[in-house]
Amino acid sequence: MTPAYSVEGLEFGYGPCPVLSLDRLEVAAGELVALVGPNGSGKTTLLHLLAFVETPHRGEISLFGAKSNRKNLLAFRRRVGLLLQKPYLFHSTVLGNILWGMKLRGISGARAKQSALAALDRVGLTGFENRSASALSGGEAQRVALARALVLEPDVLLLDEPFTHMDQQNVQRTEDIVVHLNRDRGATVVFTTHNPSSVQHLAHRILHLFRGRLAAGSPDNLFKGDLIAHGTVFDTGRIRVHLASPVAQGTCLSIEASQIVLSPNSAQTESPNVFQGRIVALSQENDQIRVEVLAGERFQALVKLDQAGDYHLGQPVTLFLETKGIYIF
Amino acid sequence: MDFLIKAFQSAWSLIFGFDAEVYFIVWTSVKVATSATLLASVVGVPVGLVLALRDFQGKPLVMVILNTLMALPTVAVGLLLYAFLSRRGPLGDLGLLFTPLGIALGLFVLALPTVVNLTLAAIRSADPRLFVTCKLLGATPIQQAWKILQETRFAVTAAIVVALGRVISEVGIAMMLGGNIKGFTRTMTTAIALETGKGEFELGLALGMILLMVAFGINAILFLLQRGEG
Repeated sequence: MTPAYSVEGLEFGYGPCPVLSLDRLEVAAGELVALVGPNGSGKTTLLHLLAFVETPHRGEISLFGAKSNRKNLLAFRRRVGLLLQKPYLFHSTVLGNILWGMKLRGISGARAKQSALAALDRVGLTGFENRSASALSGGEAQRVALARALVLEPDVLLLDEPFTHMDQQNVQRTEDIVVHLNRDRGATVVFTTHNPSSVQHLAHRILHLFRGRLAAGSPDNLFKGDLIAHGTVFDTGRIRVHLASPVAQGTCLSIEASQIVLSPNSAQTESPNVFQGRIVALSQENDQIRVEVLAGERFQALVKLDQAGDYHLGQPVTLFLETKGIYIF
Repeated sequence: MDFLIKAFQSAWSLIFGFDAEVYFIVWTSVKVATSATLLASVVGVPVGLVLALRDFQGKPLVMVILNTLMALPTVAVGLLLYAFLSRRGPLGDLGLLFTPLGIALGLFVLALPTVVNLTLAAIRSADPRLFVTCKLLGATPIQQAWKILQETRFAVTAAIVVALGRVISEVGIAMMLGGNIKGFTRTMTTAIALETGKGEFELGLALGMILLMVAFGINAILFLLQRGEG
């Protein structure tokens, strides 16, 4: 089946340094993907590129098998809906805002109005059609923008941090809309969030973005740095991590939290990837305890719930990094 | 003081007695200034829009030239166009010198950089999400431009009003290209200069008062536009 998106060798930046660099990314048609990453990781930039409102400096983006170019840019934009984190509403009524996209596509009159009112109803803003867009609250404006995107029935819907400023009721409503669009209409959905645990139930797949790159492995322990010693050691500036085999290139290091072994005792060992530190945070996560350790860098490790009694805040511990849980990208 | 009061009384009676000469002069001023501003808007707003939205080689140079033109003395514009429109000039055959059309052409040259620059500034100061939103909703470049103009309508209209204010109150171009011919090319500003020079203070004062009212009207429109935008 043709993927909704196929991205190859993508590079984009606002200055000389790229803020986004993706070797390869595919999003299957009808897939619901969550894009997770900290602020500044390139999530919004990627959405803008996928919505074809920005043009990559290098690389290609294909939509349903067709490569984007100057000629088909407008047609591609019209197949994709993008909900900005802080949407812009035109200086007109709510209805005027929703109708404009349809007018651009030659849809007007009673049919357009009926669709617009139905879209408003779906986002829970029935009766808002004649209100001035500038008089809406932030949450209402976001829902109007969602209605404006939905009414155009896009094949792909991109949402930038859609749940950030919403109350629980509207989070649920938006989730229902997204699921309906994806499951019943077969639309492809990509949305960004900085909170992966809140969207695990929603997304088919979670992609982690870190400093403009798709993170290999887990996002729990991500560090920026350089390869040294002919690619056998990764230097973050604070710690040096020895790799199982030489790596040709990469500026980011990822270590799976599950592949960090903690010992409550101070251990003496010849193994290179052993660090001494102390516990700075503890929290329960399902049937595990997440332990944060300051050992040059801030590490996150997972231990079994029944071992919870072995660890307490401020305790000195030893960290062993298993090489199979280390990724360079 | 007595002289001033008498002058004011005479000016008042010229205005409210609907003196034909006064109102012909006012009409000539309004006619040349509005037609020049209208033409400058038709040309300048799209140019300002394109300059604001498109990047191209040499854009900084264009911006410097536009800024320089905004500060151009009106007599310099008058002089330059005089050279073009005079009989020996390249456009001498058109017979535009010392006609209202000639003044309007000069005022157009004066208004154009103002309209372009202020339109450009208005669009550049718009919310950047406006441009993204127009694109992502699937607008063609023309549809985007029209929407951007609609959204910045207050600031763009203010640019046009500022240009009108500048051209209606200038004297150098009207004098050099119009020749201050009574009943034909005499404008409010040239008439004020002439009548005051002749010692006919009343007519000058009446026209000055009308010019002041026009300036007040233009500023009132600007104020309302700025309030509308806020």
